[in-house]
Amino acid sequence: MEKTVKLEERLTLWYDELKGENFPLVGKKNANLGEMLKAGIPISPGFAITIHANDLFVRESGIKDAMEKLIADECREMNEKNIARLSGFAMAAIEKASLPDYLEKQILDDYHQLCERCGVKDLPVAVRSSGAVSMPGQMETYLNIRGDRDLVDYIRKCWASSYCVEALTYRINREMGALFNIGVGIPKMVNSRVSGVIFTINPLNGDPSKISIDASYGLGEAVVSGLVTPDTYLIDKVTLDTVKFTRGSKEIECVYKPASSDIIEREVDEERRRANSLSPEELRQLCIVSKQIEKYYGKAYDIEFGIDADLEFPDNIIILQVRPESVWNKKKAEKKKSEQPTDAMSMILKQLVTGVRVK
Amino acid sequence: MAKQFTDPHEVPKIEGTEGWEKMYPYYYQFSTDDKERCEYESGQLWYYDGLHYPEPHCPFDLIWDEAWYLALSQYNSRIFMVPPAKGIDHRIVNGYVYITPIGIADPKEIEARIPLFMKRAGYYYQNWDKIYDDWVKKTKLLIEELENIEFKPLPEMEDESVVFEHRGMGSGYELGVKYDQLINLGFKVWQYHFEMLNLGYAAYVTFINTANQFFPDIPMATLTKMVSGIDVVMYRPDAELIKLAKLALELKLDDDLAATTSFEALKARLETSQAGRKWLATFEEARYPWFWISTGTGWFHHDKSWNDDLDVPLASIKMHIDSLKAGKDPSRPTEKLIAERDRIVEEYLGLFSNDDDRKAFEEALNISRKVFPYVENHLFYVEHWFHSVFWNKMRELSAVLVAGGMIKDVEDIWYLNRFDIKVLIDDMVRAWATGIVPAGRNKWPAEIEWRKGVMDKFREWTPPPALGVPPEVVTEPFSIVLWGVTTDVLKKWLSGLESATGEVTQLQGSPGSSGTVEGKARVIKKVEDLAALEPGEILVAPTTSPSWAPAFTKIAGCITDVGGPMCHAAIVCREYGLPTVVGTGTGTSVIKTGDLIRIDGDSGLVELL
Repeated sequence: MEKTVKLEERLTLWYDELKGENFPLVGKKNANLGEMLKAGIPISPGFAITIHANDLFVRESGIKDAMEKLIADECREMNEKNIARLSGFAMAAIEKASLPDYLEKQILDDYHQLCERCGVKDLPVAVRSSGAVSMPGQMETYLNIRGDRDLVDYIRKCWASSYCVEALTYRINREMGALFNIGVGIPKMVNSRVSGVIFTINPLNGDPSKISIDASYGLGEAVVSGLVTPDTYLIDKVTLDTVKFTRGSKEIECVYKPASSDIIEREVDEERRRANSLSPEELRQLCIVSKQIEKYYGKAYDIEFGIDADLEFPDNIIILQVRPESVWNKKKAEKKKSEQPTDAMSMILKQLVTGVRVK
Repeated sequence: MAKQFTDPHEVPKIEGTEGWEKMYPYYYQFSTDDKERCEYESGQLWYYDGLHYPEPHCPFDLIWDEAWYLALSQYNSRIFMVPPAKGIDHRIVNGYVYITPIGIADPKEIEARIPLFMKRAGYYYQNWDKIYDDWVKKTKLLIEELENIEFKPLPEMEDESVVFEHRGMGSGYELGVKYDQLINLGFKVWQYHFEMLNLGYAAYVTFINTANQFFPDIPMATLTKMVSGIDVVMYRPDAELIKLAKLALELKLDDDLAATTSFEALKARLETSQAGRKWLATFEEARYPWFWISTGTGWFHHDKSWNDDLDVPLASIKMHIDSLKAGKDPSRPTEKLIAERDRIVEEYLGLFSNDDDRKAFEEALNISRKVFPYVENHLFYVEHWFHSVFWNKMRELSAVLVAGGMIKDVEDIWYLNRFDIKVLIDDMVRAWATGIVPAGRNKWPAEIEWRKGVMDKFREWTPPPALGVPPEVVTEPFSIVLWGVTTDVLKKWLSGLESATGEVTQLQGSPGSSGTVEGKARVIKKVEDLAALEPGEILVAPTTSPSWAPAFTKIAGCITDVGGPMCHAAIVCREYGLPTVVGTGTGTSVIKTGDLIRIDGDSGLVELL
C-alpha cells in the first residue's frame, strides 16, 4: 500500500481531494470547491495551500513569536492605534519573509503540475484567501497571477491580508485572537472561449422541466451585462432535447488584455457570429451539470459557466458561480393549494367542458 | 386580416364539372332550398379535412367518410352524452370533404348531460382493458365475416344445389344481398372504430393539457414518449420483415434474394431447395394478417397492401438484409425504449414540488396509458386489415360487373357511389334473369368517363382550408386534437387568404419529432419509389405507413403532407431521433426533389433555402 501522509499534515491539497468537512484544514471556500466537485459540479482545476502550511510559515520564519512578543509587550490593549501597529508589523514581516524551502517546493511542484495539465507555461491562476471562519470580503483575492516568482509573492500577500486592519479589528471584536492562519486557493484562471448563464427552469414561465441557457463568446461580462445578444437555448431537462433555439448576433466578446487582468472588448468576426457558440456535446454536458447542481441544492439555480479554451472537453466545462434562482422559487413557496381535481374522470370531464387549447 | 372565409354557398364552380353533385349523396351538399339549413351552414366554420384526405374523393371512396360521419357523431351526441359536444357535420365541395363540429351552447343542457356522461364514459374507463380485449375479438370476427363474402360471376345456369337443396333463392338476388352485407360490414367496423376512440382521445387530450399546465414548454414528442406503448401492433408487420431478413441470412438465401427483383421469380427459385421452401413457408405465415398493412393510410382504394403486391415487402426485406450485413440491427430496441420511457416519466414526476399536482399529473398519465393501446392499435385492425380486405372484395364485385357488361374495367367501380352500385346491380341481375341486355349498359361507362374528367379537374383545384365564419375561440376538443384546428391556426389561415400567392419559401406543419436538420429533399409519393432514396436526404412524403420502415435508417429527416404528432412517421422518427414535421398540407407539391430545405421538428417549420 502506498504510504500516505495524513491530511492534517499536508501542505497542499488538490480540490478533488477535499470534502466540505475539511474546512478546518483549508478554509471554507476551498473546502466548498471540493464539495462541489464531489457533487459532480466541475470547477476550475487547482489546489489549496493548507492552514497548516500557513502555520509552519509563520512559526519557522519567527513571525509568530515576534507577533506574540509585540502583543505581550506593547499592545496589550487592542485599541485602534495598536491594531494599526500590529497590522503594519505583521503584513510587512509576512511579505518580506521567505517560505520554508520544502513548502515553496511543494507549492511550485503543484503549480507546475497544474501548468502541465492545462498545457500552458506560467499558467495564469487566481490566489484566493480562504478562512476556516467566514469573514466576508476582508481578505484579498488576486487574479491573473503567472509564473513561480509572482505566485509565491502573491501567496505571501494573501497571507498578509488576514492581518489587514479590517480583518484584525473584526477578529478582536469577536474575541477570535489576533493570530489567524488561513488557507489559500490556487485555481486556474478560467480562460473562457465561451461563457454564459444557465437557469435550471424556464425563467419566463417557471416551467421546471426546462433548462434555459444563454451563451456567447469570451468572458462572462458580455452576457451578464447584456452587451451582446447571446445564443439562447431552451432544453428539455429530462430528454435533453432542444425545445427552442435562437441564434444570437454575438457581435462583441470580452477578453483579458494580454498579460493583465484588465478586460477589453473586441469584435467577433462574421463567421463566428453565424456559428453556434456551443457544440452539441458541450450543450449536453452543461445540461447534465446543471441538473446535478439543481439536484445537489434541491431547488432551481442560476449558474454562470465558462468553456475553457485551455482544456479538453469535457474538462473545459467550468462552473464559475451558482446561486438560487429567486423569482420562481419564491412563487413556488407562496403557491396556494391548487383547486383542480386529481381524479381521472373529473379531470377528463373538466377538460371536455372547458376545452383548453392544445399547442 | 379577413374576418371570415368564403361562404360555403359561394364557392366558385369549376368549369366543366357542372352537375358533379350527383356523384355524392344529396345530404353531403350545401343546401340551396332550405332556408333554415342555409342559415345554419353559413354561420358555421367548415374546415377542409386534409388530415385524412389529401386528395378529392372518388365517389365510392366517400364510404369511409360516411362511416365516421355517423359513428363519431353518434358516440359523442347520443351514446356517451359528451357534455358540450354533439356530432361533427360533413359536406362535400368539388370532391373535398369539409367538416364542422357541433357544440352545445346552453349551459343547462351541458349541466344535465354531465351525470350521464360520468356514468356512461366512466363505465368504459373503468373496464377499459376488458372492453378492449372484447373489441379485438369481435373485430377479428367481423373481418372473418368479410373474408367469407365471395362475389362470383352470374352463372349461365344455376347449380343443381339450388334445386336439390331447395335453397329457394338465386344468384341474382344473392348478389344484391352480398353487396349490402359488404357495405354494412364496412359501416359496422366503423361503429366499432369509434366505440373507444373518442374516449381514448379525451383521456389523451386531458393528459396533454394537464402536462402543459405544469410544464408549459413540454414538447409534444416528450408527451407521446411517456404514453406510447412499446408492444404496438402497428410495428408488427415490419418486425415480421426483420425476422424474414434474419432467417434469409441464417439459411444463406441472401444471394437468392439479391438476384431476384420480383417475388414471383424468387418464389420459383426458392421452391427448388429445402432451405428455400422453409423460408417461403415462414413468409406465407407472416402474410396473414400482417401483410394486410397498407402502403398508404388505407382510406383510398388505391392504397395497396403488401399482400396486394409482394414485391413491396420483398424490397423492404432486402433493405433489412443490407442493414444487418452492415452490422446495424433494424429491430426496435424494445428494452431500451421501455427503460427510456420509464426514466422520462420518473424524472418528470421528480420535478413536482407539490403532491397534489404530482397526483393529478400521474392520474392523467395513467389513464392516458390505459387508453393508448387502443388509440394506437385500432388503426391496424380497421384502416389496414379490414380496409385492405374490403377493397379487394370490391374489386371481386367489380369483376362481376365487368363480366355482366355494366362497366368496362375493374378499376372503374370507384367512380360510382354506393347507391349507384346498388341500382346498377339491380339493373344487371334483372337483365340477367330476363335474358336481355341491361338498361344501363351504355349509361354507366359514359357516366364513368365523364366522372373521370371531373375528378381530374377536382385534383387541380386547391381547396381553401376553411369556409364560413370562425368562432371566437375553438374549444371543441376533438377538432383540436385530431385536426389541430385552434384559434391560432384559424388566424394563420385567415391571414394566408390575404397574402399574395407568390413563391413559397416556407411551410408550417406540426412538430413531429424534435431537432433541426438541413439537407436535400427527396419527394417520394409511393412506397415503390423508396429505392431512389439516397442516404442523408430528407424524405418528403404524402404520409408514411409501417411499410416505409426501411427508409428511416437512411434519411436525415422527414416531412409529411398529412398527419399529427401521433401519426406513423412522427412515432417512428422519434424513435430514430430524426427531426420531423408532419401535416404540412402541401409538402409534396411545393417541394421538389433536390431542393435544399431546413426543417425544425420543434416548431413545425419547413424552410426552402
